Amino acid sequence: MLLEVKNIHKSYGSTEILHGISFSVQSGRAMGFLGRNGAGKSTTIRCMMDVFRPNSGEFLLDGKPFKTEDYRIGYLPEERGMYSKNKVLSQLVYFARLRGGGKEESIKSAKEWISFFELDEYANKPLETLSKGNQQKIQIAQAFVNDPDILILDEPFSGLDPINAQLFKDVISEFVSRGKLLIFSSHQMNYVEEVCDDICLIHQGNILLTGSLDNIKRNMGEGKMLLETENMDSKATTEMLCAAFPDMECELYNDALILDTKGKYSQNQLLEFILDKSLNIVRFGMYTPNLNDIFISLAGGDTK
Amino acid sequence: MRNWKLVFEYELKTLLSKKSTIIPTIIIALIIFGVFNIPRFAGLFSSGDTEKEYNPMQEIVEDVGYVFEDSETGAKIKAALQLPDENIYENRDELVNSISDGENELGFVVLAPTKFESIWQDRDLENMAETTFSNLLQGIHAGTMLAEKGISLKEVNAIQNIQVEYTTTIMGKDTSINLLIAFLLLFVVYMIVILYGNVTATLIAREKDSRTMELLITSTKPTSLILGKVCASAVSAILQVAVIGLAGYLGFILNKDLLPDFIIDALSGTLTKEYIITYIYFSVVGYTLYLFLYASLGSMVSKVEDVSSATAPVVFLFLIGYIVSSFSMSAPNSNLVMIVSLIPFTSVMLMPFRTAIATVPTWQYLLSGGLLLVTTILLAFLSIKIYRQGTLNYGNKRGIVHAIKAAFNKE
Repeated sequence: MLLEVKNIHKSYGSTEILHGISFSVQSGRAMGFLGRNGAGKSTTIRCMMDVFRPNSGEFLLDGKPFKTEDYRIGYLPEERGMYSKNKVLSQLVYFARLRGGGKEESIKSAKEWISFFELDEYANKPLETLSKGNQQKIQIAQAFVNDPDILILDEPFSGLDPINAQLFKDVISEFVSRGKLLIFSSHQMNYVEEVCDDICLIHQGNILLTGSLDNIKRNMGEGKMLLETENMDSKATTEMLCAAFPDMECELYNDALILDTKGKYSQNQLLEFILDKSLNIVRFGMYTPNLNDIFISLAGGDTK
Repeated sequence: MRNWKLVFEYELKTLLSKKSTIIPTIIIALIIFGVFNIPRFAGLFSSGDTEKEYNPMQEIVEDVGYVFEDSETGAKIKAALQLPDENIYENRDELVNSISDGENELGFVVLAPTKFESIWQDRDLENMAETTFSNLLQGIHAGTMLAEKGISLKEVNAIQNIQVEYTTTIMGKDTSINLLIAFLLLFVVYMIVILYGNVTATLIAREKDSRTMELLITSTKPTSLILGKVCASAVSAILQVAVIGLAGYLGFILNKDLLPDFIIDALSGTLTKEYIITYIYFSVVGYTLYLFLYASLGSMVSKVEDVSSATAPVVFLFLIGYIVSSFSMSAPNSNLVMIVSLIPFTSVMLMPFRTAIATVPTWQYLLSGGLLLVTTILLAFLSIKIYRQGTLNYGNKRGIVHAIKAAFNKE
C-alpha cells in the first residue's frame, strides 16, 4: 500500500494551519511523522482520518481516493482516553468493532491482547482500577485490537517502562514486517530512529523534509567525517589536523571531532595522516547526524 | 451510519448496567407498587374491631356512671341508652368514688334537661363522649318540646332529611378528577428529561474531558455516535418508565377492589386511549428533542463541571412549559395556553396535560404533533453538526449562537 498526502491545505477560520503539505507512506516501512508542538501533526492526522475535511488537496491510497471506512485503521492518540468506569474487555471489543472488526473476531483479539500484556485478571474490571502503566498498555492494545491495515501511533512510548517499551518495539516491528502501513509520531527521537525507516518533518504547517532516514542522515552529514581517538586532546588534534589540511574545519562533537574537508581532501588522505601520526583510532568514518540533531537544526531555529 | 447500532448497543448496555439506573428504578417501582398496596396493609395493622360498625353511643355506656338529679330526664336517658342499674349512682360522691376506684372511666351528673357535668379520671384526646352525650340530651329535650306541641321527632327528622337528587353530565373532561394523575405523569416527563438530559450531556462532556472522544471520532462518524447515544438514552428511559409503570399496573390490578373509589375514578377518568396516545407520542418525541439539545450542549463544553451551566437554558425552557401547565388548570383552552401547547419545546408537557383536563380540537393535535416531529428532525441534524464541531474543540466553553454559526461554517 502507498498512502499519498497531496497538497493538503487546512484552515480554521481565517488561519491556515496546513500550507499545502505533501508526503507519502509506504507499507512495510515505518514512517516517523515529526514536528514540534503545534506544527500541524494532529491536524494532518485528523484530516487523514476524515475528522476534519481539508480545504483542498487529497489523500490517495494506491492511487485511489482514501476512504477511512474501506480500511481497518488503528489509532493511538497522544492524549489517551478510554472509558475509565467501563470494563477493559468490553470496551476493547467495542473499539475493535467500531473500527470494522467482527464480533467473535474482536472478542478473540481483545482477549489475546489482554493476555499479551499479562492483564487477564483485569479483563472484567473497570479501566480505572488498573495502574497508570497498565492503562497505557490497554490504550496500546486498543490501537491493535482490530488487526489494522493502517496504524497511526502518536507518542506511543510515553509512560512505558524499558521492558514494556522493548516489548512494544517488537510488536511494532512485527506489524511492519507483515507489510502493514505505520505512521509513528513522537518527540522521543531515539525511538523514532530505532523504529522508523522513513521520516517526514513538518514545521509550521510545511513539510521541511521527507524520505528515507538513512539517506537523510547521509545527506545531512554533508560529506563530513567523524574522528575519535584514544585519550584525544581535541585542541592539539585540531591544531595538528588544521596545519596539515588547510581550509579544513574541525568541530568538537561528543568526545569526537567532526571534520569538514569542504570536498578538498579524501577519507583515505585523512586516514593515512592519522595512521602516520600513530593516533589510536576509536571511531573514524563518514559523519551522520542523529535524528535529534537533524530535528533541532531544521525545526529549532524558529521558536515561534 | 453502519456503527449506529454498535454505539446504541454499547451505550444502552452501559446505561442499564449502571447502579445509578438500576437502584432508583427498583426503589421507585417498589414504592409505586407499595402505594397501591396500602389499603391491603392498612387492613393488617388495624384490630378486628374496625370490622364492626363504629357506634358513638358505646362511649357513653361502657364504663360510664350516671347520677340523675333531674329524674324525669334521667328516666328518658336510661331508656334511650338501655343503661343497666349498676351504672346509676345515688349521688355525685358515689360516682366520683367509682371513678377513683377504676370502676368507671367517666361519669355524667345530669343537673337539668339541658345541663350536665362530666367527671373524668383521665381524658384522652379523641374521646367524643361529651359531644355525644350533649347531642343525646339535645335530642331528648327537643323530643319533649315537640311532643308538647303534638309533633313527633320522627316526623321532624323525615322533613329535615329530604334528599335532593341530581345527576351530572360532563361533555368534555372532569378537571377536578383528572388533574392529579395528569400532574403526576407530567412530573414523570419532567424528571426523565432533566435527569437523562443531564446524563447524556455529562457523558459527552466526560468523553471530551477524558479524551475518549479522540478515539471515538476517529473510529466512526459523529452521526452514528450522537444517534446511538441519544437512542440509547431514550430507550433506557422508556424501559425505566415501563418497569415503574408495570409495577404500578400490577399494584393496581392486585388491589383494585381495595382501592378508594376516587383513585379508580381518577385513573379511569385520566387514562383514556386518547390521553395515553397523546402522552406517549409527545413524551417520546419531545424527550428525543431534548436529548439532542442536551447532547449538542454537552459537546460544546470541555469539562464535566461546565455541563450544568451549559444546560441551564434548557432547564429554563422546560420550566416555562411546566409553569404554564400549572396555570393552564384554570383556563386550559385560553389563547396563551393554546399557543404554548403548539410550540415544540413546551408542547411536550402542555399537550398531554390539556388532553387530560380539556377537550382539544383535532387540528391543534395535528399541528402541535407535526411541529414537534419536524423540529426534532431539524434539531437532530443541527445537533449532529454542532456535535461534530464541538467534539474536537477543546478549550473555552462556546456559546450556543457561536456553536450554531460554527456548525454551518465550512470546516
